[in-house]
Amino acid sequence: MSFSTLLLLIIAFSLCSFFFSSSSAFKKIKSATSRPSALPKHYGQYSLAWTLFPAFLLLIVFTIIGPIYVDNFFKQQIALTEASYDKAKIELVLAMIKNISNGSISSDEPKILKLADEYSNYLSKIYLFRTLSVLLLSSILGIIISSNINILKNSRVKVETFYRILFFVSAVIAIFTTVGIIASLLYESLRFFALYPFFDFLFGLHWAPNIAIRSDQVAAQGSFGMLPVLLGTILVALIAMIVALPIGLFSAIYLAEFASKRVRDIIKPTLEVLAGIPTVVYGYFAALTAAPFIRKIGMTLGLDVSSESALAAGAVMGIMIIPFISSLSDDIINSVPQSLRDGSLGLGATKAETTIKVVLPAAFPGLVGAFLLAVSRAIGETMIVVMAAGLSANLTINPLETVTTVTVQIVSLLTGDTEFDDIKTLSAFGLGLALFAFTLILNVIALVVSRRLSEQYD
Amino acid sequence: MVDKKNNLKFKTKNVSVFYGSKQAINKISLDIEEKQITALIGPSGCGKSTFLRCLNRMNDVISNCSVNGKILLDGNNIYSDEIDPVLLRAKVGMVFQKPNPFPKSIFENIAYGPRIHGIGNNRAELTDLVHHSLEQAGLIDEVKDRLDDIATGLSGGQQQRICIARAIAVNPDVILMDEPCSALDPIATAKIEELMSSLSKSYTIIIVTHSMQQAGRVSQKTAFFHMGDLIEYGETPKIFTQPDQQKTQDYITGRFG
Ligand SMILES: Nc1ncnc2c1ncn2[C@@H]1O[C@H](COP(=O)(O)OP(=O)(O)OP(=O)(O)O)[C@@H](O)[C@H]1O
Ligand SMILES: [Mg+2]
Repeated sequence: MSFSTLLLLIIAFSLCSFFFSSSSAFKKIKSATSRPSALPKHYGQYSLAWTLFPAFLLLIVFTIIGPIYVDNFFKQQIALTEASYDKAKIELVLAMIKNISNGSISSDEPKILKLADEYSNYLSKIYLFRTLSVLLLSSILGIIISSNINILKNSRVKVETFYRILFFVSAVIAIFTTVGIIASLLYESLRFFALYPFFDFLFGLHWAPNIAIRSDQVAAQGSFGMLPVLLGTILVALIAMIVALPIGLFSAIYLAEFASKRVRDIIKPTLEVLAGIPTVVYGYFAALTAAPFIRKIGMTLGLDVSSESALAAGAVMGIMIIPFISSLSDDIINSVPQSLRDGSLGLGATKAETTIKVVLPAAFPGLVGAFLLAVSRAIGETMIVVMAAGLSANLTINPLETVTTVTVQIVSLLTGDTEFDDIKTLSAFGLGLALFAFTLILNVIALVVSRRLSEQYD
Repeated sequence: MVDKKNNLKFKTKNVSVFYGSKQAINKISLDIEEKQITALIGPSGCGKSTFLRCLNRMNDVISNCSVNGKILLDGNNIYSDEIDPVLLRAKVGMVFQKPNPFPKSIFENIAYGPRIHGIGNNRAELTDLVHHSLEQAGLIDEVKDRLDDIATGLSGGQQQRICIARAIAVNPDVILMDEPCSALDPIATAKIEELMSSLSKSYTIIIVTHSMQQAGRVSQKTAFFHMGDLIEYGETPKIFTQPDQQKTQDYITGRFG
């Protein structure tokens, strides 16, 4: 039976056990003399949980472990019969066996065919075993629990435990996947740093990876100094924040403090829609409209503006971030208690004075947090810079020149035909790690700052 | 006290207030004497706060609130176009039900109003003013060594007196107090009542309270509101001993409300 059929079956089982248990608890409670310790539905949920979750876990375990076990078994088989094969060759044969057994390729080698046959036999045996054990576990537990409803036992507490475990497991999964991603990033980066000195990467002033177009091309090893790329990222993000911060913050202040309810009800959802525009659209805008426009203005002023300037990418990125900052700040400003405003207005302060001297200081910790979140977003932003910033890594702070950013480099290093143990490919992981570290530091600063400041304010 | 002739500070004539289409108070006409304490009492929702907030136009802050009728402060209609509500509020200060000091230092809380109105141009003058206001609010001994501490770290009663000191610091004529003691314990309440009595020598005070005893203790005049109407207004001892209206009698004896 397939995974989904099995899952549906055990869900059906557990629903049955839910209804059976709750109705039997209901009957018992009705005829009982003493006060029951839980409601019928708690007994139902209790037996549902026992019918569903252990079987579900078993199903997951079989589904993950089963094929791995079979593969290992066959690797051993192959190694035993063909002693001359090395590891890579064994993997190859195994892959062939698997492909033949699921019918995607065919072979005329009898030895291989026989193995493939055995493979599919073995696998279907495992799956049969999976089906039987899962169904058995589910039904046995379901029957035992639901036929032994004891209304003097408090199943509410046990259901509560189940919920707690459920939420805990979800949290653990969330954390573990994150940790896993970071670990793989670290692992690949370490491979890169084995090929390229760490400090040369961190402090190098020259970035020229020269990606190999063909694997047989003899290319000189590029140089992987991260600083120009990082500087490009910072420059673009800085321009973005210079555009986004004042406009975003001031529009939030307008919305929260000055706009009438009608205006607010229109603008707020509009901002949220703007925040939902895919960044590739902004990228379009940057590459096709903003960059040529800036170049034309530069030309009339007699300035030499490259066609892919940091200014264009940064400005459009800023425009993208405006609704983000504005919406967040609006919420933060709104959460400042009205009583503070009343206090200030009651002393004869004007609305602007109240906003500047009372509301904004009270909202400051939250605003710092929002601002740093926006910075992290600008730094991690990819699409706009891929489309509007350049590829050449210039060590410059002139916004009219072409710069490249960390994200752009990662994209260009990893797209197209690349070899996965090539130094150029691996350097992308080094960049990824650097980017991760940078935004992590920013987020930690944001956290510390807003915590410090809010201690001061309440 | 009863036969003392006082100037009128506020004259209100047929003041009605609407929140949207809902009427909150109905044609209130009430004259308030200078340098006296006037108490507004009545069951919850009868419009006491609404009326109080008319007197310094704090109702302007509420978007759907409209005020009809005439309110004269020293003979000038405060709802006329020439009156700047910001200046009015400097003259008619307000203390709220919940203590609402700013999340700033004690000093900055008191200095806030004077700074805004350009009173106390240098640091020395400002410091004097802050000390003087705290002294008037009876708080100086408790906080003089910690003027730089954050005001929200004080106790509720101290916070409320900070708010009173803050209002005094801009040198108003009138102080409006909306249930200033409802969040406080009896000792803090007693301190604030004492403070009100001493402040009434220099300020006109209008206080909303749910405590009959408080109204009896501190006020010279009492107005009884019921469902948006002014039922009775007179000398406090009279209202509490021999009211003219049956409704007032019922309320002060606790038969409803
Ligand atoms: N902002 C507002 N919007 C709409 N209606 C309001 C608003 N403020 C007060 N009201 C209504 O106006 C009426 C009078 O309210 P008000 O706050 O003046 O009563 P109150 O006498 O101060 O009551 P309490 O003693 O409970 O403070 C009430 O019916 C109230 O629901
Ligand atoms: Mg009130």
